[in-house]
Amino acid sequence: MLGRVSGMLITLLLLSGVLSVIALRESSAEGIQEYTPNISPEEYDKRYKEFYGEATKQMEEEGNPADLVLDDGKALFKKVDGGKGKSCADCHGQNGERLKGAATTYPRYDAGLKGILTLPMQINRCREKNMDAKPWKYGTYDIVAVELFVKSLSNGMPIRISIDGPAKPFYEAGKRMYYTRLGQWNWNCALCHVKYSGHKTRANILSTNRHHADHWPTYRMAWQSTGTIQRRIINDCIKNMRVDKLPEYESEDIRNLEFYLTYKANGLPIQVPGFRF
Amino acid sequence: MAEIGKIRIRIPDAIKKGDVIPVKALITHPMETGMRKDKAGKPIPEHYINDVKVYYGNDLITSMDWTIAVSADPFMTFYVKADKAAPLRIVWKDNKGATFEDTVQINPQ
Repeated sequence: MLGRVSGMLITLLLLSGVLSVIALRESSAEGIQEYTPNISPEEYDKRYKEFYGEATKQMEEEGNPADLVLDDGKALFKKVDGGKGKSCADCHGQNGERLKGAATTYPRYDAGLKGILTLPMQINRCREKNMDAKPWKYGTYDIVAVELFVKSLSNGMPIRISIDGPAKPFYEAGKRMYYTRLGQWNWNCALCHVKYSGHKTRANILSTNRHHADHWPTYRMAWQSTGTIQRRIINDCIKNMRVDKLPEYESEDIRNLEFYLTYKANGLPIQVPGFRF
Repeated sequence: MAEIGKIRIRIPDAIKKGDVIPVKALITHPMETGMRKDKAGKPIPEHYINDVKVYYGNDLITSMDWTIAVSADPFMTFYVKADKAAPLRIVWKDNKGATFEDTVQINPQ
């Protein structure tokens, strides 16, 4: 009798163990079927070099028009604005010394927001709270310029995004967004950038998702201007999927997606301003 | 606030007399071809730089005729023999009559 009861108990324990494992796996994978990349990052780098040569790299160093945007960003950083008569430089140092390395942890989880806080949002929050100034509209020239300047202070430092603790669900949400099929073409991000990375699309090579978040804001030849990663995602990627209604800048889905992509670039050095086709 | 005619000219830091130095010049300009249409379907009027002149001291050392084929925010590199201490002046003119110019001082050691 005793043996039987203990046997049952053990079975129950084992069962509950198995169940909890299943539950855990489901919550972390969220039913997403991940693709395996068809080429290695090294192979991608090789193909990129074969295709573009040193052209983008050379322009990045020698004649990047975004350098002029960077100068504007620095000027705006020092410009006094708002009711309190302060500028960004008053708190963060004349040349932003105190912000060195700050951009490496953005976007990050913010407890007050209960969501992902991106760098432009932090800039606007700073403007409202500490400067009593009007927040900038996302995606406009001024905020891109200041973001570019703040990011350039962390140039060469590796990206270190943490997805531990409360940030985990947002990482998962970003991943779900990455694998969600959208639009008339019924594509998801991963189709191009994981499954078919390294193949051609029109006159470009499809990039791997490892390199997506390390060089924004970037000057893009196609735009003839400097823009953020969100502009690239919304007005190029998602638009090319033929999505009916484009998402807004800094909307929740896009923030989660940016968080996911930046985590993928963890360990790579920040290199802004970039130069791309 | 993206302005037209912001200029950056770069020359090497240390120049020896007689060196052939690269001069790199960048200017922001839309370089509209006149062949594009805006969202309402109206053609965007052409607006591009068509004349570039480079002066070294008082001498005109090179001039360029540009057309609509040149990209927006044009960037150019050319080489100069640095044989005197003099300002290098680059003047861009566009088809609407605007003139943009900037000067760098070349001081060969």
